[in-house]
Amino acid sequence: MEMLDRYLQAVRRHLPWRREDDIIAELRANLEAQLEDKEAELGHKLTGAEVEAWLKQLGSPIQVAARYQPQQYLIGPALFPIYRFLLRMVMGWCAVIYTIASTVEIVSRGLGPDASVRAVVQLPWVLFINAAVFTLIFAILERTGIKVPEKFVQGAAIGNEWPQAAVSSHLAQLDGRKKPKTYLQAVLELVVGWIVLVWLLLVPHYPFLLMGPGAIYLKVTPFELAPVWWTFYWCVVVLNMMELAWCIIDLLQDRWQDRHPRRHMIKQALDLLPLLIVLAAPGRVLFALKNPADTAHAATLAQINMWTYRGFAVIAAITILQLAWTLGRMGVETYRRRLAAQ
Amino acid sequence: MTLAENLFENLRLELRRGCLTLAVLAQLRQEHYGYTLRKALAARGMEIDENTLYPLLRRLEAQGLLTSEWREEDKRNKRFYKLSADGHDIFARLLKEWNDINTAITNLL
Repeated sequence: MEMLDRYLQAVRRHLPWRREDDIIAELRANLEAQLEDKEAELGHKLTGAEVEAWLKQLGSPIQVAARYQPQQYLIGPALFPIYRFLLRMVMGWCAVIYTIASTVEIVSRGLGPDASVRAVVQLPWVLFINAAVFTLIFAILERTGIKVPEKFVQGAAIGNEWPQAAVSSHLAQLDGRKKPKTYLQAVLELVVGWIVLVWLLLVPHYPFLLMGPGAIYLKVTPFELAPVWWTFYWCVVVLNMMELAWCIIDLLQDRWQDRHPRRHMIKQALDLLPLLIVLAAPGRVLFALKNPADTAHAATLAQINMWTYRGFAVIAAITILQLAWTLGRMGVETYRRRLAAQ
Repeated sequence: MTLAENLFENLRLELRRGCLTLAVLAQLRQEHYGYTLRKALAARGMEIDENTLYPLLRRLEAQGLLTSEWREEDKRNKRFYKLSADGHDIFARLLKEWNDINTAITNLL
């Protein structure tokens, strides 16, 4: 019995503390009855070695206690497919950004093959840290999701209605409309928006957040950003804040399922503003010399200004085309509905 | 354990998981405490490991399918379980589902 007591004591250490007395009392009653049966079957009291063998057969105390714990996931089956999909995307982008930043640093500073090898060796660590942070965010979402599961797994609480929901969703897609946003998507948008805003606000103080190791180049380069970039920067910050505010209002008003196509179009139009600010820079000067008397770099500066300006012009043209496409689709959709209503 | 045996074991456990709940609910139409329930199930050919059965009883009780009470028997306090009203209802529905599956599988073979 002493050995059984010790075994139960070991199990108790790993049980949920609120229920440990109850579980141990029940387990003790069951195991003592089992022990008595065993002794009756063998016709003698079990020896120490036999009790020990029997307890070993029951399993380690940690394993026994674990069965009484609720099933726990770091990232559960509902979130995991989204997590896996986004993780792959994030890892891909991290690798691309890191490669570009490292290449820029190596080329601009004229570093040797050692630096290239170092950059390649560091890549797994960069990916690992980013994956860890990303996983942590999803683990937090999972914990939140456990508290409000019906909001996270849309349709989980609907039960038998799932075929109808699936059919409606399929029809909605055929209808040219997107599926309503889930609560998880709305929360994810808010979290990502918040991270982007914080990142944006930190960039002026920590340029490496934008340029990675290439940020060192800012110190050694003879060029500096023209004042127009500050207007551009604050315009981007305000647009992000506006989008974040929309997300928060949607969540507070329980309107997170809406896709807001008009709002999406307004956002696309507003996204043009920072581009237009850059394109309207006086004299198309986007970069200037730190030392205005430095004539040696004047020609390079002119080239940089010209190509940056052209780059922004191309981006603005693409954005305008996207906006026109969205407007066109909205127009066609309105026309189709009008025809259907007739 | 070879890969094939491992795969078989996983599939076997998966197949048994739902059946165990049905077996436990069936047996708890009569009152039992953990150990006698295990013996009763084993006597009818349904062996269940104690580490699976005892936590399962608690889960089913938390889900409202079982009721339990502590009572003294043979000078020892034991927790006795039996089907609750909801448990009877769910058991009847699960049993129908089981019979339907059984018929379907029989038709397939």
